[in-house]
Amino acid sequence: MNYLYFLYIEFLSRHNIPKLFGDITFYFIPFCIIAAALIVAVLVLVLAERKLLGFFTQRKGPNRVGIWGILQTLADAFKLLCKENITPKKADRFLFNLAPILAFVPMFAALGVIPYSAEFTFINTGTNVILYLVLAAFPVISIFLAGWASNNKYSLFGAMRSISQVLSYELPIAFVVLSIAVLSSSMNLTGITLAQFSRWGIAGWFVFPCILGFIIMFISILAELNRCPFDLPEAESELICGYNTEYSGMRFAIFYLSEYAMMLANSMFLAILFFGGYLSPFGRYLFNNSFLIYFEQAFWLLFKAGIIIFVMIWIRAVLPRLAAFDLLKFSWAVLLPLSILNLFIMVLYKFITGGGLCA
Amino acid sequence: MNWHEFVRIFDDCELAGDKIIVKSRLHDVIEFVIKNYPYNMLKEIIAVDNKDNTTELIYHMYSVDDEEDLYISITVQGEAESIVDIFESATADEREIYDLFGINFIGHEDLKRLYMPEDWKGFPLRKDYVQDDTRLAWNDNNEA
Amino acid sequence: MTTTRLKLNLGPQHPSTHGVLRLLLELEGEKILSCEPDIGYLHRGMEKMAEKLSYIQYLPLVDRIDYLAGFFYSELLCRIVESACGIEIPDKVKVIRVLMLELNRIASHLLWVGAFLMDLGATSPYFYVFREREMILRYFEKITGQRMMYNYFIFGGVRKDIEFLEDVEEIISVLPSKIDDYEKIITDNPIFIRRTENKGILSPDTAVNFAITGVNLRASGVDYDCRHTDELYRGFDFKSIILDGKDAWSRYKARILEMRESINIIKQALDYLKKSNPLEQRLIPPINLKLPEGDYYAEIEAPRGLASCYVRSDGEDKPYRLKWRTGSYYSVNLLRRILKGEYLNDAIAIAGSLDIILPEVDK
Repeated sequence: MNYLYFLYIEFLSRHNIPKLFGDITFYFIPFCIIAAALIVAVLVLVLAERKLLGFFTQRKGPNRVGIWGILQTLADAFKLLCKENITPKKADRFLFNLAPILAFVPMFAALGVIPYSAEFTFINTGTNVILYLVLAAFPVISIFLAGWASNNKYSLFGAMRSISQVLSYELPIAFVVLSIAVLSSSMNLTGITLAQFSRWGIAGWFVFPCILGFIIMFISILAELNRCPFDLPEAESELICGYNTEYSGMRFAIFYLSEYAMMLANSMFLAILFFGGYLSPFGRYLFNNSFLIYFEQAFWLLFKAGIIIFVMIWIRAVLPRLAAFDLLKFSWAVLLPLSILNLFIMVLYKFITGGGLCA
Repeated sequence: MNWHEFVRIFDDCELAGDKIIVKSRLHDVIEFVIKNYPYNMLKEIIAVDNKDNTTELIYHMYSVDDEEDLYISITVQGEAESIVDIFESATADEREIYDLFGINFIGHEDLKRLYMPEDWKGFPLRKDYVQDDTRLAWNDNNEA
Repeated sequence: MTTTRLKLNLGPQHPSTHGVLRLLLELEGEKILSCEPDIGYLHRGMEKMAEKLSYIQYLPLVDRIDYLAGFFYSELLCRIVESACGIEIPDKVKVIRVLMLELNRIASHLLWVGAFLMDLGATSPYFYVFREREMILRYFEKITGQRMMYNYFIFGGVRKDIEFLEDVEEIISVLPSKIDDYEKIITDNPIFIRRTENKGILSPDTAVNFAITGVNLRASGVDYDCRHTDELYRGFDFKSIILDGKDAWSRYKARILEMRESINIIKQALDYLKKSNPLEQRLIPPINLKLPEGDYYAEIEAPRGLASCYVRSDGEDKPYRLKWRTGSYYSVNLLRRILKGEYLNDAIAIAGSLDIILPEVDK
């Protein structure tokens, strides 16, 4: 971030604009970058999901709007923009309108925490792992508000299921993140990324010592994202659409957007914790001594996230939905003990390989 | 199957092949039949409207083990004994017959309209039924 | 603190009610305390229409009773008229009818597998089964000109001779491997087993008392398949599938196995048809067709349970009274009992496993 900041201040001082202005306006730049990149990424993601699901089920997927259906999601988004925003008569108007905003904002902030490359880390605090976890769990509040404010029984069921689900899957995630913090001796996402550096690329990734943790984390993140097979909060055949049954038009689009953005953010989070984040899997880079290395690093992060997203879509194509009780039981009775066990193993591992607890 | 005992108890019943024509005490007849004979399934209840304001109900019973059918027929006038306490499937049949023929089954707790709207007048499968509901588009009385 | 029970209106517009079933549920949390099915949203007055139309005018309508298994209902009406007129249909017609009925049964069960998995939240199998069902529907289209409302059986025979037997051969050569595929992706899937095993237990006594027939009854361990006593199926070698799991999983497995058994029957029919001579049949002249006075009854094993038709004729060209019995109608009645005490999540799976088709219920 510093490099960009200096470039910006230098650019301003050449035009005799005071530094204070630069300090204030500088933080709009990452905002704009994230906003633009996010819209594009989500559009691509939705198209990719539909295309892939099409291939998995021997269909063609969207193929009418633009070559290869590229513009399909754009057309859908445009349609949603044009649609009427319906607020049910007996809904709580204020909360009903607040819920989509609350879904969107923390997701935006969560994307700012991610270190895309050595230079592009927009919110870099000492313990931003925790900040990320808090932001990632935040949408559940908006889901609950949406379910409650809609004054619809299906929405309420969806919200109830979602809360119990997120609460019970948040704990295994926390324990796995803790074990990663032990491995890397850092609570900072950049620190965790750099701790996985090795000359042979993938050899340093935490997924190898912490494979158990990865599996737990992957399952828990599927549950937190309400994705198949944990899509009970929006189980189509039971609850119609769950918490966003009553939403239409742009508000629905915002929910949709934040859902996919959260999927993107969480898979990047997984890639950072276990697959070396923005580090190249080969240990060295194509553009070694130029500014382009930052973009190459960002590419590697997105590439790893893309593979994780592909697996998520694949799972959606194959598995049926879990039963409500199994879902909670699985978390409390299987994942939580395993994640604690994993933490112990990681502490031992660190003790043996790292030469003592304080290393 | 030995029907002597049956004929002795229900002396106003007529036996004709696999059909029993019952004059009264339908509930008792069916209870007796399932107790003493292997019939255990009520496949359906068929209602036929006779033109003289009476309705014939045919209880189609079946024995799953012996693969044999039995028809118990009774002619009723607007009212009949319900057998929902013997066969749960009769809940559905009796409600359908109430809806279409207007037979009031005594002892059936949930007797209300099934196919027709709640406020529909008349019972469509009766022979004296006249279609004059104003909601029907093809009805001449329809002002809309 | 007071607690109130939640009344939930499941349907008639709901993704998992397969049409327009409405369930009035009383819930405590997600537990169902009572369930009251409400039907009639698709009532077309099939029995009333019969009293206004002559037999041949009524024949095209009966396919609509169950749009997934139309052949079974036209077969019933044909059988009524044939038995009333005392006509014995030739053997080849019988075999053609068996072939069509069994293909139709497979198509119906295939769709059910897809819809059931859709209820459980797996979307892909829905598309896979449509791929295979499409082959069968294409064949029906070639023979009858229709994909769903066939109107192919006619009093005394069939509308035209069977053709394109190589298509059927292809279907039955492809299908078993495809069914294997479904079994691979579904049957042993642990999530699927958790969702369906020991869910929706239907004891044999309850099933018989509720007049449940067909696959649902046989999956509860009761041996009742009226194809065995059926004139039409005489000479065919097949066994009916009896499973004693009594749960939703057995109902799924029974349908899968029944599809395989149907393929067996089709093979036998095909062997006969390939060697047979061109069709010679004596159709009953449909114009001014009057059935002799009396009661007529016919029944058949439809995909969703026993289907039967009762006709009372008073010697006129229209039936005095015509009654249909359909399997789904009694399955809907069963929901009242079987969903009590279940959780909403399981309730959808259980209701789906009974294979309820609403046009059949509402008639």
